[in-house]
Amino acid sequence: MKKIYLFLLALVCFAQIAVADIDKSQAMKMVENVTKEGIEQIINSNASIEEKNKIFRQLFTQNLDLDFIGKYVLGRYWRTATPAQQKEFIELYKELNVQTWSKRFDEFKGRQFVFEGTSPANNPNQIFVDTNVPMKEGAPAVVKWRVNNVNGKLKIIDIIIENVSLAQTARNEYTSFIAKSPKGVEGLLENLRTKVK
Amino acid sequence: MIYFASTYILYRVNVKEEGILNKVLRQYIAFLCVFFVAGCASSSQTEATALENYNRTMFNINNQLEKVIIRPVAKGYRAITNEYMRQRLTNFFNNISEPVSAANHLLQGEWHNSAQNISRFMINTTIGGLGLYDVAAKAGLEQKPTGFDETLATWCVPDGPYIILPVLGPSTPRATTGWVADGYSSPAYWVANESNGEDAMLVYYGAAGLKYLNKYAENLKLIEGLEESSIDYYEAVKTMYLQNRGKIKSCGKIVAQSTPDYDFDMDDED
Repeated sequence: MKKIYLFLLALVCFAQIAVADIDKSQAMKMVENVTKEGIEQIINSNASIEEKNKIFRQLFTQNLDLDFIGKYVLGRYWRTATPAQQKEFIELYKELNVQTWSKRFDEFKGRQFVFEGTSPANNPNQIFVDTNVPMKEGAPAVVKWRVNNVNGKLKIIDIIIENVSLAQTARNEYTSFIAKSPKGVEGLLENLRTKVK
Repeated sequence: MIYFASTYILYRVNVKEEGILNKVLRQYIAFLCVFFVAGCASSSQTEATALENYNRTMFNINNQLEKVIIRPVAKGYRAITNEYMRQRLTNFFNNISEPVSAANHLLQGEWHNSAQNISRFMINTTIGGLGLYDVAAKAGLEQKPTGFDETLATWCVPDGPYIILPVLGPSTPRATTGWVADGYSSPAYWVANESNGEDAMLVYYGAAGLKYLNKYAENLKLIEGLEESSIDYYEAVKTMYLQNRGKIKSCGKIVAQSTPDYDFDMDDED
């Protein structure tokens, strides 16, 4: 009996190590594709803003878990929002990110991401892909990608540039806005609509 | 009180001349002292709200000042300079601050980094043409900047509340103390202060202004983009500034790294 337990224990440990290894390489590969296709190819091309936005929209939908990010960003207000407001928020937030990032990634124009490996997150279903971007001067910019594994499907849920988490920043900003707005979540939606029109 | 004490000592020791620049500086530092004492003492909810109200008001004033004066000047500066020139200037100012980094690395017990700062300073000042070219980095000696803010953090001095300083913008009591100390401990300051009184100080403060204008101009697109996409610009700047400060090692370890410390879960309460 004891031998069977030991065998099962060994099997579980082996399976976990094997899964973790697959996750790491898959996560690295996925982020590498995003940086290659999204940043190094799109940003470095001479495409128009509209064209860049279109490609970014496609890239974001494929590789970012925008539902997850949207829920996290709204924090406790997600539960008080109506399903229609939740749906609209995710759409508006996605569009705002598409517009923002096609401009913001311009900063990395002409540069290449250097992949340094992965590091563990608190949540066992998540992992950080660690990269850096050599800059014109000084130390390279540290960019970490938080990748979430839901049923074997890997999606990016946060990008952390020089310790600044985009999801955390949006969450602090939006929840602070809602808390002060007399219209609550609707006030935020009204404001976002003007940003993305 | 440590903020008050250190700032006051610096103010007493260094302000020798009675020129207009020093008068303005003295008034500003006196304001910071009073402000920090008030800031550090505030602990209740009412005081935190009062600080938040002050911060938002000052942030808006700074933002207007930025739009009316600093941004047009930065745009003009960008128009008359190219990236190559701005890069040379950045290198020059980075090189001047190497001795300050070296001293602070010593205070932090980082002998190796201190030696690297000194080596970089010697190489770049000579072979690198007074620091205009970062030859040392090409030889494998990368930049290792630090300052008194990080030294205080190493000594376990807490950061204090988030404050918006007039003109200078986002800061904390520890960051400002570090900034003032770095300015006064710079060899450039001592040379200017000892050489020719008010005229030399004018050159020193002018150079300091140019350093920040150069940095601002380099990041202009990023700043404008952030403001454009923000719903609450004050809150966005605040959270980004504080997260970025989380990189600084406090008591020898990183205490507030924004990434692995929070469990990325929508159920987290704010």
